[in-house]
Amino acid sequence: MRKVFIHADRCIGCRQCEFACATEHSVSKDYFTAFLETPTPQSRIHVDPGPVPSLSYPNNCRHCNPAPCVRICPSGAMMRVAEDRVDVDPELCIGCAMCAVVCPFDVIQFGQVSGTDVPVAIKCDLCPDRLAEGREPACVEACMVDALEFGDVNEMVERVRQTGSVQMFALTADEEPADPLAAWRACSAAEANVTA
Amino acid sequence: MTTIHNARSAESLPADTRAMIDKAHADGVETVWDRLAAQEPQCGYCVLGVSCRNCVMGPCRIDPYGVGPTKGVCGADADVIVARNLGRTIVAGASAHSDHGRDILEAFEAVAHGEASGYRITDEDKLRRLAGEFGLETDNRDINDIAVEVADLLFGDFGSQRSQVTFVDRVPKPRTDKWRELDVVPRGIDRENVEMMHRTHMGVDNDYVNILLHGIRTSLSDGWGGSMVATELSDVLFGTPAPVTSTVNLGVLKADHVNVAMHGHNPLLSDVIVEAAADPELVELAKSYGAAGINVVGLCCTGNEILMRRGVPMAGNHLMQELAIVTGALDAMVIDYQCIMPSVTEVAKCYHTQVISTADKAKFPGATHVSFDPSHGLETAKQIVQIAVEAFPRRIGGRINIPGEPVSMMAGFSVEAILGALGGTPKPLVDAIVAGSIRGAVGIVGCNNPKIPQDYAHVELTKQLIANDILVLVTGCSAVANGKAGQMMPESAELAGPGLRAVCEALGIPPVLHMGSCVDNARIIHLAAALADYLGVDIDALPLAGAAPEWYSEKAVSIGTYVVASGITTVLGVQPPVFGSPNVVNLLTSGLDGVVGATFQVIPDPVEAATMIRRHIETKRAGLGLPTIEVPDV
Repeated sequence: MRKVFIHADRCIGCRQCEFACATEHSVSKDYFTAFLETPTPQSRIHVDPGPVPSLSYPNNCRHCNPAPCVRICPSGAMMRVAEDRVDVDPELCIGCAMCAVVCPFDVIQFGQVSGTDVPVAIKCDLCPDRLAEGREPACVEACMVDALEFGDVNEMVERVRQTGSVQMFALTADEEPADPLAAWRACSAAEANVTA
Repeated sequence: MTTIHNARSAESLPADTRAMIDKAHADGVETVWDRLAAQEPQCGYCVLGVSCRNCVMGPCRIDPYGVGPTKGVCGADADVIVARNLGRTIVAGASAHSDHGRDILEAFEAVAHGEASGYRITDEDKLRRLAGEFGLETDNRDINDIAVEVADLLFGDFGSQRSQVTFVDRVPKPRTDKWRELDVVPRGIDRENVEMMHRTHMGVDNDYVNILLHGIRTSLSDGWGGSMVATELSDVLFGTPAPVTSTVNLGVLKADHVNVAMHGHNPLLSDVIVEAAADPELVELAKSYGAAGINVVGLCCTGNEILMRRGVPMAGNHLMQELAIVTGALDAMVIDYQCIMPSVTEVAKCYHTQVISTADKAKFPGATHVSFDPSHGLETAKQIVQIAVEAFPRRIGGRINIPGEPVSMMAGFSVEAILGALGGTPKPLVDAIVAGSIRGAVGIVGCNNPKIPQDYAHVELTKQLIANDILVLVTGCSAVANGKAGQMMPESAELAGPGLRAVCEALGIPPVLHMGSCVDNARIIHLAAALADYLGVDIDALPLAGAAPEWYSEKAVSIGTYVVASGITTVLGVQPPVFGSPNVVNLLTSGLDGVVGATFQVIPDPVEAATMIRRHIETKRAGLGLPTIEVPDV
């Protein structure tokens, strides 16, 4: 089962994934001209601010199975197109937004896409054109700090466990895992805490 | 939407700010806090300083985790990229101050040649003192001849013909010896800025320490160069500030008057506007529209300039510029340059406010541009005031709300005024420091930043320090914040510790002294140099510190750097974009101590910052063999 895995602790909020996603979902797929298209291409991944400036979260469709959005869609627009992919047929979408209502992660939004003249459901489609070419989704490719990773979910989880959670148990009480950005995070937290 | 910075809803916000944020919301007007929320999260590469767009082999970013790229296309690592970016930030700040200084110098030269209307040499004594300081003949000479020669000399400081800029002669010798050893004596104001732009071009200076040393030199060309030229010549042209009492906060706007706010940094225009606003014909015109008169107020540092010299009431600091328009009672905002948000013309569209831009180098789409030329100063000023008067009848009745009552504040503490209050010599201040009734002095300067609850860090840090017998010197937005908080009247001495209180009461001065605009930080380092000379020590031996608790601008980076390079440790309340390079961070926060005897510290919490500063001052006192006290943890 392939997923875009989110290493939230690594995200530094550059939003390059949003830019890459919008470009991938344009007609031209060209960085330099895509933003000029009508309708304006929209990102399907959303980097939302966290509690302090050094933390943010890139949120996208988890391609659930069974998927609440697919189950509730009355027009059959939201559909499972592969074992690990849920996608929308904009021709069938009636804009009722029930999919957005039931989505556990609030990652379905509405807007115009090429070929429609009314707003339709817009969400991550895992970049089918790229997958067909054996490439990673655009957001994953754009992420330079490996906050987003694409692959078999079990392999990724196992690796995270080996390098992360298992290591935690090996630490003695006064040791902390090394974070090269610890000084920045401490400063950012202090800044955000000046709220008197 | 989630927001990271909740400074907009902080309980500590000044009452006028809170009222106008609510009104802006009700009026559907977007402000700086909305735009910050829309920007969040802000890009970590830029926050960490590891993005570089100096060339188009890039743009490049360094992965701060070291997993992705650790070098840009050219091979620059995080150290080089952070240092180059910091170097260019210093250039932008130093250039802003110094270009302001040059504008004053050009007007001064025009006055010397009798070519400026509305201007004259107001403080002849100061001009003669400066000329004497520069080694020029002053006896039996016409003041304009002296002015021409001083102008020539200072124009020379902007070029590259000198081994050092003129005002470096004011720096104590042990300090200039140190600078010479490091090869950072500023040679020419423009030269150091150009050289930094050269060094940070791809393939020039790739040693981060060497780049940062030139950053020091560039900043010194601002503090002891361009800023000092601006301050000293503004005093000559418009008068050297002396203690004056005025009022502050948005309550200085008057419902029944034509309200004109002077916003920006340069006193050239604002000074003649104050004169034009008293012009009988214009006052008559205002009355014909039903106004009781014309009320000129200040915003930001232009406001500080006319507050210091003419006692003009102060409407507010950086974060008040949009909110002053939101009152619906501001008829004109006259802007020169620096720190004027491009948004002001957009906010003004929702009201009747006329935004009038005046500097040809600072145009704002949506504003009426009236080109300001010192040779026709008074005529231009009258034309601008007339636009304000004619806007008065277009006020939108239901949209007017002037919040609260103004607070009194004292300003006008130039170095001359401080020495004057002390009886002409630093001795009483030095004696009080030696005895320990005053522990030391701290310059609290710099901006507002929407990431910090407005004014809170300025006011709280000041409160903590004066309560512990530390004299506080303020400029810029910090002065306005402290004025609004009621900490800047002679009666405010009761907020001070017993030692500082006694000194303030004996001299009739506040415990927080307003030393001017942000170019006037030159006054603070000048005073520090005078104290060091009086004691026969280097500046870094003195029980002093600097703080910029709510800084935002490139100018603040230049100021902080020249203050640290002059030997005064400085605490920042907002992180600078350097954390992507641990080497640069180490250099700034500890390595510099062995080089210039001072460091930068980043401490956002003002209470914690106060503790650090108090300990630093006690350490410096110990170094001078003065009695010390233990500073407990918060």
